[in-house]
Amino acid sequence: MSAVDRMIQAIIERGADEALADGSAAIEAHHLLLAIAAHPEGGARQVLTSAGLDRRSIRAALDREFEHSLAAAGVSSAAFGLPRPSRGPDRPGQLGASARLALERGFATAARKKDLRPAHLLLGILQAQAGTVPRALALAGVDRDGLTTRVRAALTGEDRAS
Amino acid sequence: MSVENPVPPDPADALAAVAALRRLADQIEDAAVEQAMRTGWSWPQVAEALGVTRQAVHKKHAKRLIAAGVELRRR
Repeated sequence: MSAVDRMIQAIIERGADEALADGSAAIEAHHLLLAIAAHPEGGARQVLTSAGLDRRSIRAALDREFEHSLAAAGVSSAAFGLPRPSRGPDRPGQLGASARLALERGFATAARKKDLRPAHLLLGILQAQAGTVPRALALAGVDRDGLTTRVRAALTGEDRAS
Repeated sequence: MSVENPVPPDPADALAAVAALRRLADQIEDAAVEQAMRTGWSWPQVAEALGVTRQAVHKKHAKRLIAAGVELRRR
């Protein structure tokens, strides 16, 4: 397995952990975002951190988006007082539609597959115009276009350094 | 005719509400099925209450509940 394949697999597996913790049947784009925020290699995590986005603040932004979207239908997640369900024993292995799209877009931002880095995958996630991630980032006051520019700049810097 | 005439929501908010409600429904289903099975409901009873087949509810929840140590009634 190549280094690029290992990197992609590591991010998808971490995304699967996030999906399991979420009680989600599939890995979605926001799980990949959380995974990239925790991924130690490459500049993607540093760019997120410089924008005030670490794993915890992204999780908080996602929770806020969930409540905000429910509120549009007059619903609150706290209104139903059931105990938290137990989590399943296995991580979901399936990529949801938003994660597939994010990965496709991310792959398309790299010239060659062997050049692919976490920041390319982050670009793929940031390209979504609708859905959970752009809404969560907007609610958190993150300038998505500015963030995208910084990710591209970080990639250019990494190219020069390599 | 309704007395109130609310401003229709932005389509983005309405679509996001649908996605969030589906997620919340899944979370409530996980919690409610677990609670029912812990208090001795059977698979056919839970399936009938949810309006789905016994096979569907079993496939979706059995592994998780077994891993959580819930004692499951066969019938």
